[in-house]
Amino acid sequence: MAHQAHAYHMVDPSPWPLTGAIAALLMTSGLAIWFHFHSTVLMTLGLILLLLTMYQWWRDIIREGTFQGHHTPPVQKGLRYGMILFITSEVFFFLGFFWAFYHSSLAPTPELGGCWPPTGITPLDPFEVPLLNTAVLLASGVTVTWAHHSIMEGERKQAIQSLTLTILLGLYFTALQATEYYEAPFTIADGVYGSTFFVATGFHGLHVIIGSTFLAVCLLRQVQYHFTSEHHFGFEAAAWYWHFVDVVWLFLYVSIYWWGS
Amino acid sequence: MVARLLLRSAVRAAVTRRASPAVALSRGMAAGGIPTDEEQATGLEKKIMNAMKTGTDPFNMLKPKEYAGSKSDPHLVPSITNKRIVGCVCEEDNTAVVWFWLHEGEAQRCPSCGSHYKLVPHELPH
Repeated sequence: MAHQAHAYHMVDPSPWPLTGAIAALLMTSGLAIWFHFHSTVLMTLGLILLLLTMYQWWRDIIREGTFQGHHTPPVQKGLRYGMILFITSEVFFFLGFFWAFYHSSLAPTPELGGCWPPTGITPLDPFEVPLLNTAVLLASGVTVTWAHHSIMEGERKQAIQSLTLTILLGLYFTALQATEYYEAPFTIADGVYGSTFFVATGFHGLHVIIGSTFLAVCLLRQVQYHFTSEHHFGFEAAAWYWHFVDVVWLFLYVSIYWWGS
Repeated sequence: MVARLLLRSAVRAAVTRRASPAVALSRGMAAGGIPTDEEQATGLEKKIMNAMKTGTDPFNMLKPKEYAGSKSDPHLVPSITNKRIVGCVCEEDNTAVVWFWLHEGEAQRCPSCGSHYKLVPHELPH
């Protein structure tokens, strides 16, 4: 006997929102404790709790959707809205850092020498590793689209191959960027140039790692037959996020690496 | 030389006829290895998928059908019990909605504009 006359999902009570909130509390207060009293215990505890929350919450969503069939068309539509709104909020997050960069670079103060890049800063050559990074991310955009079409056309082997390639390209970007960070002639402490450069590219790098992780989870799910050729929103959400990361990089490259040199 | 060899093998590949399977399996696990919703959907998603295939909309996912509201073409109101609340917006952009219970049996009329409404009981898929 059907238990509901509507197509929506009334979720069962769950502890994960509470554990997530507690994790946020422990991480933030832990950060303050670390700054003032040199102890990382609280912050580490918060981080572990956060990872456990994420793992169990998303595992439960997969159970509800893939294994129990709760993700009906209206529910899926809501998830789509949610992901788009989340990515939009992230766009605004990056917009702030671009604002900071342009504020400082369009009218460089006398303290910087009245020029951009500021006096004493040797910026990275935009046509060396940064250009390679651009190519890597653009290629990964192609491979993730290939993966999507493979899933829609029911091609399991190709889907797995292209998704793996996408993740490898993401990891390659991260590795390249890490060596760039290590080899850079300037640091985050080098005035407003260093601040804007490392905060903007640093948050971007974090998003690449998050996106790669999301895609890796999708790969695991694809291998385990979770996705059907019509219903694979988890993958679509990961692909949207990945394209967003790619676009942010393009703006970073043009603004900070190229124009900013 | 390489181009000529490439061209030769390409022509051969294009012209070769391969034996086709007796039954052309075009989708799903048997073909490419990725299941279809038909094969793998479960729970409420599956119930809804099957119900939509019959053309019914037991979970009210689609926009309600338009009716004239006259005696011969009353608004048909689906219900899983023998009565349902109806809210009539008599004229477009009216802000006062006329609410009333619609019971099983003969069509009832909106107390304000007189449109006809008829309850159509149906079972939920299970």
